[in-house]
Amino acid sequence: MDVWTFLEVAAWALSALFAVLIIADWIRIDSTYDEDVLTSSREGEIEALTEEHR
Amino acid sequence: MAQTDIASPVADGMVHATKVGLVRVLGPAHVWALGVGIVLVGEYMGWNFAVGKGGAYAALIACWFAGLLYSCVAMIDSEVTSTVAAAGGQYTQAKHIVGPLMAFNVGLYLVFAYTMLEAANALTVGFLMETVAAMAGHEGLNPQPFIVLSILFLAWLNYRGVLATLNFSLVITAVAFVAILILFLGTAPWSDATPLRHAELMTDLPYGWLGVLAAMHFGLWYYLGIEGTCQAAEEVRSPARSLPFGTLAGIMTLVIAATLTWYVCVGLMPWEYLGQSGVPLFDAARMTGSTALLVLLGVGTLFATLASANGCINDASRAWFSMGRDHYLPAWFGAVHPVYRTPYRSIIFLVPIALVFALGAPLDQVVTFSILSGLLGYTFMPFNMIMFRRKWPLGSIKRGYVHPMHPVPAIVLILLCAVTFFAVFLGYGTQLIAMVVFYIVASLWFHLRRYRYVKRADQFTMPWPKPQGY
Amino acid sequence: MARYRPPAQSKLGQIVDVIVLLALTFGALYLPLYMGLAGRTASPSPQENPTWESLGQNEAMVERWNALGYADPTAAQDIITSRFDYSFGALSLIVMVVVVVGYFVLMFRLSDREYREVIAEKFGRE
Repeated sequence: MDVWTFLEVAAWALSALFAVLIIADWIRIDSTYDEDVLTSSREGEIEALTEEHR
Repeated sequence: MAQTDIASPVADGMVHATKVGLVRVLGPAHVWALGVGIVLVGEYMGWNFAVGKGGAYAALIACWFAGLLYSCVAMIDSEVTSTVAAAGGQYTQAKHIVGPLMAFNVGLYLVFAYTMLEAANALTVGFLMETVAAMAGHEGLNPQPFIVLSILFLAWLNYRGVLATLNFSLVITAVAFVAILILFLGTAPWSDATPLRHAELMTDLPYGWLGVLAAMHFGLWYYLGIEGTCQAAEEVRSPARSLPFGTLAGIMTLVIAATLTWYVCVGLMPWEYLGQSGVPLFDAARMTGSTALLVLLGVGTLFATLASANGCINDASRAWFSMGRDHYLPAWFGAVHPVYRTPYRSIIFLVPIALVFALGAPLDQVVTFSILSGLLGYTFMPFNMIMFRRKWPLGSIKRGYVHPMHPVPAIVLILLCAVTFFAVFLGYGTQLIAMVVFYIVASLWFHLRRYRYVKRADQFTMPWPKPQGY
Repeated sequence: MARYRPPAQSKLGQIVDVIVLLALTFGALYLPLYMGLAGRTASPSPQENPTWESLGQNEAMVERWNALGYADPTAAQDIITSRFDYSFGALSLIVMVVVVVGYFVLMFRLSDREYREVIAEKFGRE
């Protein structure tokens, strides 16, 4: 097995690793937190506090 | 597992309904890295098709006219975004200034332009690995694992937090930019020993002035994506200052990089070859005969493609997230990761889409889809700007940056967009029509069906007075 | 003005909406491809027994072709002689203008209608 064939296998393995990391965390977060908390972000709330228009 | 106190209002000054939001951690250098990082890959591949479309001089004219187009884009975006500082960038601008349907379209332009560009970048990584393997004597390397790895690694990076993501972009973008400068210095244009042969290699315009118009299609490649800086608006520490600074510094960097790239490449290769090359700067390094430059530009190509894909994931997910948050898309996408503070579901959702296009669609189609979505977005901007100044004249709201000479940049931008539409028509007329039909069908779907899930007044989030004329 | 209260969307409805969007996207990308209408490519016009002179290449150019790995004119001539065809008909140009302009007119008009509703609800209540 030459170095390039090894790199191909390594790239597949790393891809699988990153996919597993993302999906595992996603499932953990979605089952730990309430949907209302996760989707509570509202646009422009920072501006309403820090900037005075008019 | 460390849990930050997500409900604390002192953490980032948020109160009201938001329990988990994006986090303001970025500085002007990150804005620069996001804008330039997405674009710089255009100097490493793609811009040279403008040479094929109209010859060497046509590519330079296209480079400068496209530079003018993007300077207008940068000025307009700087003014509007320094005032409308929310994730979603041009989408949020359109929502406040033009109206919901336009905003939905602009959001789709952004997501498609960036996701397609991401797929094109991943394809280029695969091609580069294949080329390097072949040069090292290994024929027939399978590029697929490298395509998949680059998308998944960058998605993971984006998932884990915006600061690390853009620090990564900052470093690799800087390396790729310096590589272009070193290549220019390496050819030593001032000395007698220079390998540049402009006098002998340059020819007349092979297609006449029609070729100059046609070259505008790929002239966009020199700068496509610089408008992505606006997507960071909700994550920079002081948007009113950082966004104009980062965006305008970015466009200046790119005009320099584009002109140097053109100068070196046309002085090293006959235009017929350059016009169809897959990796023009890498070829240019090859022509100098220096192994050090060859390695440097190889690394530069890899870094530029990764920086671009990285910025694309960041921008596409912000736009998709903002639309979900407003219920333009299913509300499920409007979620923020409580620890990493990223729009994690949008990032995850766009991964398989990027993979499908990177593994299944031909490169030129993917690129054209991206360019056309970008072009439709640029056409929207001047109208957006004129309406912005009309509905909220100077002085009625606080602007972070006011661009000079309004409405000249807006009018110049409209004219240049018209020229570019014609250029695209010359090569890809059918795709242009197909794209526009797609957006019309999607718009009707939104207007007639999807819009009923959207709360009306809640979309207007800026603390501004009532627009004039309403 | 009465405040508009949107219905809550079910999980299934959310999934259906995503599928609709995806179908539209893939349709727009692949339909022109399947119908064989994808972009024009440049086509070469090869000569018999080409020489560097007949291809219009000077000494500096020949040197570069050699360095790029094209040792003789026959190998390089497909690249050198290929040209795009930029001819077009007035009708297709008009169709493009109508489609693009019509699209933007439609966008701005429908958007403005929705926008007035937003502004009325937002500022009418104050």
